[in-house]
Amino acid sequence: MTTAYSSAQRCGRLVAFIRGDHRYVLLGTSAIAAFGMLLSSSPRPALSFLAPVYGVEVAMYYTLAAWIAIAVVALAFKIALRRAYAAKAPFTRPAVRRALRYGSYIVCIITAALVLDRWGTGLVSAWNAAVSATARPQDDMLQGILYIVYHDRQTFLTGLITTVQLAFFGTIAAFFLALLLVFARIQTVERQDNDFVRFCKRVGCGFAKGYSTVVRGTPMMIQALIIYPAVFSLFKNTGMSTTEVNAVWTAFWGGLVTIILNSTAYMMEVLRGGIEAVDAGQAEGARSLGLSQWQAMRRVVFPQGIKHAIPGLSNELVVNIKDSSVLSVIGTFDLMFANTTVTGIYYNQLQPSLISAALYLSLTLVASWLLGKFARHFDVEPATLGSTSDQQLVKGE
Amino acid sequence: MTQMQEPLIRIEGLRKSFGEHEVLKGIDLSVMPGQVVTIIGSSGSGKSTLLRCLNLLETPDEGHVWFHGQDLAGEHVDVNGLRQCIGMVFQSFNLFNNMDVLDNCTLAPVMLKQASKEEAERTALEHLAAVGLSEFAHADVRRLSGGQKQRVAIARALCMSPEIMLFDEPTSALDPEIVGEVLEVMRSLAEGGMTMVVVTHEMDFARGVSDEVVFMDQGIIAEHGSPEQIFTNPQNPRTRAFLSRYLG
Repeated sequence: MTTAYSSAQRCGRLVAFIRGDHRYVLLGTSAIAAFGMLLSSSPRPALSFLAPVYGVEVAMYYTLAAWIAIAVVALAFKIALRRAYAAKAPFTRPAVRRALRYGSYIVCIITAALVLDRWGTGLVSAWNAAVSATARPQDDMLQGILYIVYHDRQTFLTGLITTVQLAFFGTIAAFFLALLLVFARIQTVERQDNDFVRFCKRVGCGFAKGYSTVVRGTPMMIQALIIYPAVFSLFKNTGMSTTEVNAVWTAFWGGLVTIILNSTAYMMEVLRGGIEAVDAGQAEGARSLGLSQWQAMRRVVFPQGIKHAIPGLSNELVVNIKDSSVLSVIGTFDLMFANTTVTGIYYNQLQPSLISAALYLSLTLVASWLLGKFARHFDVEPATLGSTSDQQLVKGE
Repeated sequence: MTQMQEPLIRIEGLRKSFGEHEVLKGIDLSVMPGQVVTIIGSSGSGKSTLLRCLNLLETPDEGHVWFHGQDLAGEHVDVNGLRQCIGMVFQSFNLFNNMDVLDNCTLAPVMLKQASKEEAERTALEHLAAVGLSEFAHADVRRLSGGQKQRVAIARALCMSPEIMLFDEPTSALDPEIVGEVLEVMRSLAEGGMTMVVVTHEMDFARGVSDEVVFMDQGIIAEHGSPEQIFTNPQNPRTRAFLSRYLG
C-alpha cells in the first residue's frame, strides 16, 4: 500500500515532532498548561494520589502559571515587534528555543499527571462507589451510569451477543442470496435464446427488480412486523399449537430472517453497481471468443466487479449492526431490547442509552477496522464508516 | 483458371439503426476465403458497426449475414458456436484484466473444451512466440504497452483457430511509433492466408496488404475495388475527398 503509513513510519513521525523545536511551542503548550490549571482547581476524588502531597501539587500549579506568564510575555514581544520578532525577540535564539522545548515537556508531564489524578482515579473512585451502592446514585451522572453497567451487565451482554449474531450471520447469508439475485437481475435476453430461456430470464430479472424496489422502499421495522407474524401464521396453519410455534419460530429467527431479506436487496444493488462498473469491453472480449453470457460473467466480469463492490458490501455489516436495533419491535433480544429493558428498571432513558450508544459505537468501530484489513487484503481501498445513503460511488480502475 | 469459390461471408442488404439514427443503410459485401478486405471511411460512416454485425456484437435490424450456410442475422442461431470460428480484435484490446497473458489466451479454448489445458498452453505459447511475446506469458496484462496488448489480443483470437479474423481499428489507440509492430503481425497473418476484414485508418496497410478495399460513407458502401483502383483512380468524388485528406 502506498497511501497508508506503516505504524513504524507513524511512530517515527511522532518522535520527530516531539523532538523538534517549534515556533509556536508557547502558543500550543500554554493551552495545555491552562487545561492543567483548570484540572488542578477541580475537586479531588477519593483515591487522588496527589492529595497526600499537597505541596507538590501547589508547585505544579505555579509552574503551569509561570509557563502561561512566559507565553504572555512572548505574545507582548510579538505584538510589539511584529515582523521583526524572529530577528529581535530573545525567544527565537537557539539556546532559548531549546530551553522552551524542555519546558514544554515539563508542562505536558504535569498536565498528564493531573489528568491521571483527577480523571483516572476519579473513574476508579466512582466505580467503587457505584459497586458498593445499594441503589442507583441519583445525583452523580457518572456513578449512576457505572451502577447500571455493573448491575445490568448480563442484560447488556445478552443483547450485545444477539446484535453481533444478527449482523454477522445476517450479512453473510444475505451476501449469498444477493449473489443469486444479482445474477438473475443482470440477465439480458439474447437472440439465440429459446422461448423457455427467454421466459426464465425475464421472470428472474423482473423478480429481482421488484424485490429490490419493495424491500428498499419500505422500512425494516415494518418488514419485521410483517415477516414475523406472517411466518407465525404459516406455522400455525400446519396445525401446531402456539407454544410449539413459539419454540421453533422465535423472535431471534424472525429478526434474522428479516435482516437477511432486507440486506439481500441492498447488497444486490451494491453488487450490480460493481459489475456494471467493469468496462463493457471485458464482456465483449469474452463473448467474441464464443463464451456464453454466463461463462463471460463467471470468469471475466464478476471477478473484477466484486472488487469494486467490496467496500459497499462490507459497509453493509456496519449498517446491519446499527439497523438491527429496529428488530426489538418484534421482541428480538438485541442490544436495543436490552436498552429498553434497563430503561424500564430505572425509569431513566438517558443513562442506559449512553451505555448502548458506547457499545454500538465500539461494535461498528471494531467491525470497520476488521473490514478495512479484509479490504486491503484484496488490494481495495476500504470505505469509511457510514450508512448506505452516503455510500461512495464505485471507482473505476 | 481458378475454380468458382463460395464466399466465406456474404452480407446482403444489411441495415442497422441506433434509435432514430440509421447507421447501416443496406450493405452488400462478400468475403472470399483467404481474402483480406479493408474497410476505410471517415468516423461515423458505419465501418465499426458493420464489422460488429459480422459476429453479432451488434444485432442487425434487417438483411442477412451468411456464414457456413447459416444466417447470423436470423433467429435462434448458435451465436456462441459461430463466434468461435470468427476472431475479433478490438481497438481497446479488451484483454481480461484479472488474468495473466497466458490465461487470457487459454481461457476460451479450455472453457469451450476445444483443447486440454496442456494443449491450449502449448498452442498459446506458439502464437505468443509468433507475435514476439514468449517471455511475457506470465506477465500481468495491465503492465503491457499498448502494442504488446494488441499483439496478445491477436494471439488470443488465434488460439481459437478462427476461419476469419475481424480487426476493429486495431491501431487507433496506439502511439504512432508502436503502430508498426502490430501492423507487422497483421501483415504476416495475411501472408499466411488468413481471411481478414480490417477496419483501419492506416492507408499504407490498406494499400499494401489488402486484396479489396471498401470505402464506406454515411452507412453505404460508396466504392469498392482493388487497392490499385481505389487509391490511384477513385471514381466517387467522396472517395477522392476522403483520400486527399489522408494522402495529401
